[in-house]
Amino acid sequence: MSEKSLIARLEEEGDRGADYLEALLDIADLPGDIDIDVENDRAALAIVGGELTHLIGDEGQVLEALQELTRMAVQRETGERSRLMLDIEGFRAKKKDELRALAESTAEEVKKSGVSVALKPMNAFERKVIHDAIGELGLSSESEGEEPERYIVVLPA
Amino acid sequence: MIDEALEHLIKGIVDHPSDVVVSEKNGRRGLTYEVRVHPEDIGKVIGRAGRTAKALRTVASALARRPIRVDLLEADE
Repeated sequence: MSEKSLIARLEEEGDRGADYLEALLDIADLPGDIDIDVENDRAALAIVGGELTHLIGDEGQVLEALQELTRMAVQRETGERSRLMLDIEGFRAKKKDELRALAESTAEEVKKSGVSVALKPMNAFERKVIHDAIGELGLSSESEGEEPERYIVVLPA
Repeated sequence: MIDEALEHLIKGIVDHPSDVVVSEKNGRRGLTYEVRVHPEDIGKVIGRAGRTAKALRTVASALARRPIRVDLLEADE
């Protein structure tokens, strides 16, 4: 495994994950195309079908559950822990845009007031997007509290 | 369809896929799927703090478009 390049390994992860999900869509008789990509050193799968919103769920819990199971299935095949990311009907992509906008407005507020601001509790994916965006905006942020109430505090520079 | 979907999801994550058996029960608690796995795989399908069991129930309920129960059991020796 170590001789293989990272990209080749991530592409294999994506292929294995896509096989697992494609078989599920077939069983459920749901139309969907699976896009396989590598983003930020992770395999990234995106399913687009037009009628898959029930596989996203409220706040994306079904999507998170499917991602978790897909990671496990990939790990069983490759023998290595997978950090594969799954998106369905562009849910995460849209969420990322919203979170980046929130990070920008919060950073502006913190820069102006010089006082730290706590955000509402978020899941690991949402926190990562916020931390990355805050870092790019030249501020720092910390996570506090315990799951599932873990939240981000944006700190003044 | 839900039984087939559960069977596929579980077979993909266990070490003994040929031992996975899913049966559907319609009891007083509503629709329940009873899943039997090899004793060595029971920890895997339940997961840390029941995380995997919850993921299986979440996906199965979404596919069924209503809440369903999933019982995970060890296959008889």
